Amino acid sequence: MLGMSRAGLAERWTLFVGALLSVALGVALVQSSLLLLISAAGQSSDDAAVPMLGVVLGGSVFLAGFVISSTFAFTVDQRRRDLALLRLVGGSRGQVRRLLLGEALLLGLTGAGFGVPAGLGVMAVQTWLMRRFEFVPPGFTGEWRMWILGVSFGTGILLAVAGVLVAARRAARVRPLEALRESGAAARVMTAGRWVAGLFFFAGALALVIVAPHGGPAGGQAMAMNVAMPAAVAMVAFGPLLVPVLARLVPFGGGVLGSLARANVRDARRRSASVAAPLIVLVALVVGNTGAGSSFTASGVDELARSTHADFVVEAPVPAGAVPGVATVSAETALLADVTVGSGDERETTALDALVIDPRAYAAVHGTAVELSGRAVARGPGGEVPARGRVSVRLPGADLGQLPVVAAVPERMSGGASLLLPPGLVPAAALAQAPTRSFVALEPGADPAAVRAELARLGPVNTAGDWLRADAEQRSSTTNKVMLIVLGLGGLYALIGVINSIVIGAATRRREFAEARVTGLTRAQVVRSALLEAYAVTAAALVLGAVAASAAFFAVLATTSAVTGAATLDLPWPLFAAVAAIALTVTGATSLITSWSATRHPPVSLLAARE
Amino acid sequence: MTTMTMAPAAVALHGVSRVFGRGPAAVRAVDDVTLDFPRGGWTAVMGPSGSGKSTLLHCAAGLERVDGGRVLLGDTELTSAGDAELTALRRTRIGFVFQSFNLIGALTAEQNVALPLRLAGKRPSRSVVRATLDAVGLADRARHKPRELSGGQQQRVAIARAMVTGPEVLFADEPTGALDSTAARTVLDLLRAMADAGQSIVMVTHDPGAAARADAVVFLRDGRVVDRLAGADARGVADRLGAWER
Ligand SMILES: Nc1ncnc2c1ncn2[C@@H]1O[C@H](COP(=O)(O)OP(=O)(O)OP(=O)(O)O)[C@@H](O)[C@H]1O
Ligand SMILES: [Mg+2]
Repeated sequence: MLGMSRAGLAERWTLFVGALLSVALGVALVQSSLLLLISAAGQSSDDAAVPMLGVVLGGSVFLAGFVISSTFAFTVDQRRRDLALLRLVGGSRGQVRRLLLGEALLLGLTGAGFGVPAGLGVMAVQTWLMRRFEFVPPGFTGEWRMWILGVSFGTGILLAVAGVLVAARRAARVRPLEALRESGAAARVMTAGRWVAGLFFFAGALALVIVAPHGGPAGGQAMAMNVAMPAAVAMVAFGPLLVPVLARLVPFGGGVLGSLARANVRDARRRSASVAAPLIVLVALVVGNTGAGSSFTASGVDELARSTHADFVVEAPVPAGAVPGVATVSAETALLADVTVGSGDERETTALDALVIDPRAYAAVHGTAVELSGRAVARGPGGEVPARGRVSVRLPGADLGQLPVVAAVPERMSGGASLLLPPGLVPAAALAQAPTRSFVALEPGADPAAVRAELARLGPVNTAGDWLRADAEQRSSTTNKVMLIVLGLGGLYALIGVINSIVIGAATRRREFAEARVTGLTRAQVVRSALLEAYAVTAAALVLGAVAASAAFFAVLATTSAVTGAATLDLPWPLFAAVAAIALTVTGATSLITSWSATRHPPVSLLAARE
Repeated sequence: MTTMTMAPAAVALHGVSRVFGRGPAAVRAVDDVTLDFPRGGWTAVMGPSGSGKSTLLHCAAGLERVDGGRVLLGDTELTSAGDAELTALRRTRIGFVFQSFNLIGALTAEQNVALPLRLAGKRPSRSVVRATLDAVGLADRARHKPRELSGGQQQRVAIARAMVTGPEVLFADEPTGALDSTAARTVLDLLRAMADAGQSIVMVTHDPGAAARADAVVFLRDGRVVDRLAGADARGVADRLGAWER
């Protein structure tokens, strides 16, 4: 059987190169993300790096599993006729299954063999990105661990074998008679497995959309950011049904080429769906997550702007009554506190932001009432501590002991401090070194220019509007950097998956192209018809990816509305346009190159060998 | 006709039907056919295009499910056989040859011929494989891939692949359909020699010349057996076919 595998490998090399590439890059991505996560958790690095790398790792595993399994399923699909032939001359179902699993094992091993060194390259790029964007200190390096060899080879083999398992079961049921049909009988369009997977992931996405608005700001954002993935998988599962329908809506133009392309899209449903699959995921992830991220940022900024009743923000303490014309000053001193919640086994200590405030001034400037007396503290807009109960608070150089939490201000989209402390509680020594920011509201009729001049003597002054804008810009640039690191390499991998599936699709169409040419089409016409078909499938994939992304946008609208009272959607249209343009360029170019190369021999030489 | 009834049948069909589609669009491709293919004889099946010849052959070989009736290979019931049993039959007791040769392009002629044996878990000896290729006159092409062989040569490799297991019955669906007359004659000579050596052969063909090389000819029309003829020459077969195709 292995000899058969080897001969098969040599013959259908494009299929196997495609499968190998998907395994190698998947392993590289997973290995790099895992090593970086371990390194970041070990070295003292920015707190933001570890959770972000967690997301990167999760995304890498998902993408690797998805791209590998869909590539493998596609290669098996493309070989249906070969496998039927094997059955015809006496191959059993078990033998077909073993053949495919054996190949997967071989590909998983070899793919990991290439993936391990490639992973070092990926790690260098990821490290560079993270250093560049200051998620890690300049000295940060990803460290090699010997055990990662086991993990990487295990990942490669596991993903390859798991990827082919379902396809192998299906292939083993192929009827021997299918070998006799000239073009390989069309496989069933929608299998039971596809229905189940599609409905399962659809339900998952729907559940997230429904639950997200009830998850509070942090939970809601996390859930909304996770809607695109299951929604995309659902779209992919229904691909054989949806892709041809959508692709046919694309204006092909009248001529014979258009109708040929349209017929091909309809006839080769599974091929169309397989080419569309990685593209759907790519579009859903990039569009869905960047759109959700920028919407949440915009929503947080709007919310802050609506709730802040101040004219100036001064980066220094402003004593009440020190400046004429000032009605209210909320001076807020930021401290980093180790906060312990719970007791016994459930005790948990986290470093959280605390803000020392004057409750009445805070209430006036931020529009939420806070009543604090004695040692009582309140939960801030950042959440993360219980709204009632006790917490132990330890500041640098001062242990405040146990404090009762008696109130909570509403949680904010944009987050903020987790604890609000009254002024008397914190020793002056601890306060002296901490930065203080003052929100200043003017008396009616006061001259803003004069007040501003006075305030400027105390510290840097901004109008509240300018300060909010600067704050927003900083926030969204952080979001963008995270997105770039999280989605950048993953998106590239998915894009390679797209190229892969087009190459695989074209490799097995040489005969079909040859038939079209002996029917009277010129080589250029065959290539153009294939290009039209690729564009139609790409357009369908873009639409389905956008549908999956919109599921995330529904969650965003519901969550922002529930948290801030105003449903907000702020979409980076230029980025979306760029994604569509890249997708069309890449699929177009790949289709051109592959169909041109598949038609390089005169058609008779292909039709002569009636294998 | 006497030989047909006396010798036990290699394959026997009893009231076999195969219907494609449902309702008004249903096609009775094979319609209540009762027929014996004699052991050690070469039977040709003829009929107009779409008359159900291929379907009948597939049903007789256990490749196609039947909707009614029974198919017996020797005394093995094919209609009730499961997939594993049918697979085992294909390895040991049935051989196929088709119009489009259906060789595996990745394998050499020799490897293609050895494949059924290897699938059956046997270690094919080189000499057996070579002898089989020699029998179809292709000993010198053993290491060629299908695309390096002519159509007639590919078909002879396919025959060698079907014969290497020593099957009870060889099924052939238009084995000369894609060949020119010289290549076709070589293939038919080969089948004649095999039949003379006692091989049971069932062959579907369009070519009266090919059918005349068989021991008997069965005529099919609209899924039913309408006529049979034994020991006729090409002219006789053509006349009879002409009568049924009108
Ligand atoms: N898989 C199938 N699905 C639906 N109908 C089929 C199928 N296979 C055959 N048929 C129909 O059954 C009838 C008989 O087909 P079959 O292939 O047996 O004819 P044939 O005699 O071999 O014709 P030809 O000489 O052209 O090969 C035809 O009407 C055909 O359309
Ligand atoms: Mg036929």
